Amino acid sequence: MSPSRTALTAYAGVLASIVAAVLTLTAPVPAMSLIGTLTLACVPAGAAVMCWIDSGENVAQAALTLILSLTAFSLASAVMIWVAAWHPRALLVLAAASVVSCLARLRRADGR
Amino acid sequence: MTSPTLTRPLIRTRWPAAIRTLGPPAVLVLGLCTWALGVGQLRPPAIGSYGLLASANPWFLLGLGMVVSGFLIELHRSAARGWVLGLGIVAVIVAIHATVPILYGTPEYAWVYKHIGVALALGQNGRVTDPSSIYQLWPALFAATASLGALGHVGPLTFATWAPLAFELADALVLLAVFRVLSGNRRVAYLAVLLYEGLIAWVGQDYLSPQAFAYLLWLGVVLILARWLRRPAPVEPRGRLGRLRAPVLAGLEPPPPTSRRRRAVAIVLVAVIFLVIVAAHQLTPYIALTGVGALVVLGLIRPWWLVVVLAAIAGGYLIPRYGLIAHDFGGLFSGGNPIQNASGSRGTHHAGAEATTALIVRGLAAGMWLLALAAIALRRRSLGRVAFAAGLAFSPFVVLVAQSYGGEAVYRVYLFSAPWCALLIAGAVYELRRPQLRWIVVGGVCGAALLAGLQGLYGPVAVNAVMPDELAASGWLYTHTPPGSLIVLAADNFPALDTADYNARQLEVMPADPQIGEAWLDEGNVSEVESWIAGLGHQSAYVVVSHGMAAYADYFGAPTGFTRLAHGLPTAPGWTVVYRNADVTIYRLTVR
Repeated sequence: MSPSRTALTAYAGVLASIVAAVLTLTAPVPAMSLIGTLTLACVPAGAAVMCWIDSGENVAQAALTLILSLTAFSLASAVMIWVAAWHPRALLVLAAASVVSCLARLRRADGR
Repeated sequence: MTSPTLTRPLIRTRWPAAIRTLGPPAVLVLGLCTWALGVGQLRPPAIGSYGLLASANPWFLLGLGMVVSGFLIELHRSAARGWVLGLGIVAVIVAIHATVPILYGTPEYAWVYKHIGVALALGQNGRVTDPSSIYQLWPALFAATASLGALGHVGPLTFATWAPLAFELADALVLLAVFRVLSGNRRVAYLAVLLYEGLIAWVGQDYLSPQAFAYLLWLGVVLILARWLRRPAPVEPRGRLGRLRAPVLAGLEPPPPTSRRRRAVAIVLVAVIFLVIVAAHQLTPYIALTGVGALVVLGLIRPWWLVVVLAAIAGGYLIPRYGLIAHDFGGLFSGGNPIQNASGSRGTHHAGAEATTALIVRGLAAGMWLLALAAIALRRRSLGRVAFAAGLAFSPFVVLVAQSYGGEAVYRVYLFSAPWCALLIAGAVYELRRPQLRWIVVGGVCGAALLAGLQGLYGPVAVNAVMPDELAASGWLYTHTPPGSLIVLAADNFPALDTADYNARQLEVMPADPQIGEAWLDEGNVSEVESWIAGLGHQSAYVVVSHGMAAYADYFGAPTGFTRLAHGLPTAPGWTVVYRNADVTIYRLTVR
C-alpha cells in the first residue's frame, strides 16, 4: 500500500465530506447547494473505501473513488425508493461514514 | 574536436526551451479561447441541415483544431507531461460537448425529457408509482437524479443540460485509468482516450440517461478487473482448454501485483457496482456479461465463477420484472437474426443531409472495427498483449444475436466496443517503427475520427436541439390542460412528459413516421387526422406543431405530410390555436 496515495485519498474524503455537508445544508443559493450535492455524489463514499486500497496509480485512484461514490449514492437513493422511505437528506450519512473511515485510515497511518 | 552543436540532438536546437515548455499548454489555452470566441458568434437559426461543422465560423473550427493540435504537440514531446496531456483531453471534451449546451441552454434530444419526468415523479412520490413503467422499475439513475435535485434545491433540468459533458469527462477519467493499467505506454493511453472521444462522439449515448450512467459504471468494473483480477499466464497449458488458449495468451504480460485479500475485496466491489448497473439499465448488464464472459473464456481474469455471480445478480433482478421486458421488447431474445438486429432504427433514410451524415458515421464504424482487426493481426505472434482489449472490443457483438433493443442494440455494441478498439489502434500506431510515419498516422487517424465523429454529433443538431420556446410550450401544456387530456404530437420531436405527473395525460404521436412504428396515416390530410384522433376516444385533443418537428421532418423525410398539415391547420374548421410562441403552435381540436 502506498501511504501517500491512500492518505491523500483520505484527506480528499474528509475535505469533500465537510464541503458537501456544509454546502448542502447551509448554502444560501441553489447553485452552491448543487455543488455540495454533486461533491457528495462523487467523492465521499468512494474515498471511504479507496483510502484503504492503493490502486497503484493516481488516475485509477481518482477514477475508482468516483465510480464507488456514484455507486453508493445511486444505490442508497434506489433503496429509499424501493422501501418507500424517501429522505434524501439521509444521504449525508455517506459523508459522515466517509469522515469516520478516512480519519481511521489517517490515524492508523500516524500510528505506524 | 567536435562542434558542440553537432553533439546536441536536432530536436533541442530547433526551438528555444521556453517555447518547447510553454508552447503546448499555450496552444491549448489559446485554442479554448478561440473556440469560445467562435461559439459566441454562432447563431442557432443559421445552422443548416448539414449541421454545426458546415455552418460554423472559422474561429470555432480553428479553436477545435488548435485544441487537438496542442494535445498532439505535447504527446510528441520527448518528455510529455501528464498534466498537459490531461488538460488537453479536458479541453477537447469541453470544446466538443459544451458547444450545444452553451448555444441552446437546454438539454439536447427530445427524448431526454421523459427521463426528467421520471426523476421528478420519484422525487415527488418517494416510491415507485407506476409498475408498468420500465423506467420506474429500473430506478437507480432516476433515484440518484431525484436525490441530486432534492438536496441541491434545483430541478433536474438545471443539470441535465450539462450531463453529456459530465459523463464524457467521467468516462475519460476512468478510461485513462484502464488504459494506463492495460498499456505500459502512457502516450498510448492518452492517445487512445483522444481517439475514443472522436470515435464515440456521434453515438449520442451520453445524455442524462440510465445507459450513460450504467456505461460509466461498467468502465469502472473493467478498471477493477484489469487492476486486481487479471490472471497470470500459465507456465504450461493444461488440458484441452489450456491448449486452445495457449496461442491467445502468447506474450501475455504479468498482471499488476495483488494479494488474495485484495482480490476478494475487488470481487465484492465488482458485484456491488454490477448490482447498480442492473438496477439502472435493462441492456447494459448483458453486454457487460458478454465482456466478462469473454475474458473468463480467454483465461484473462479470475475467478471464473465471477461471471456466474454476475449472471445471478442480473437474472435475480430481471425475473420478477420479466413481464415488462417481454411486453416492451418481445422478451430477452427478440430474435435470432443478427443482421436484422444490427440494422439500427427503422426509418426512411432521406436523401441529402441525413444520408450524408449516416454514411460518414457508418464509414467511421467500419474503419474502427477494420483498424482494430488490423491491430490484432499485427500482434498475431503475441496475441496475449492485446487479448484483453480484443476480448472486450468484439464480445458485445454477441448481443446482436439475441436482441435488437428497439433498434438501439447496434449503437450500444458500437459504444461498448469503441474504447477497446481505440486502445488497440493507438497501441498499433505506436509500434510503427519510423517516427515520422508514426506521427503522420497519429494525426491522420485522430483527425479523421474526430471529423467524422463530430459530423455525426453536430450533423443533426438543428433537429436534436430543443429550443427554450419548445420547453416553454411543453410547460404550458402540462400546466394548462386538465388531467386526462389527450396530447398529440405531429412528429416525435418535442420535449414531453417532463413533469412529475407525466402519466396524467395521454400522449400520442401521429402514426405517420416509419421510424417509430407503423406509418399508415396521411398526416397531410387533415380530415384523416381528425378521424384518427376521434378514434382515440377523447372529446378533444391538444395537437402540437413546432419548428423542431419541421426540422425533423425535413431531415429524415418523414412524416411526409407534416408540411401540408402545418399549412392546413390554421384554416381548418374546428381547430383553435390555444398557445403560440416563436417555435410552437398548440391547437385544440374539438372532436365532432
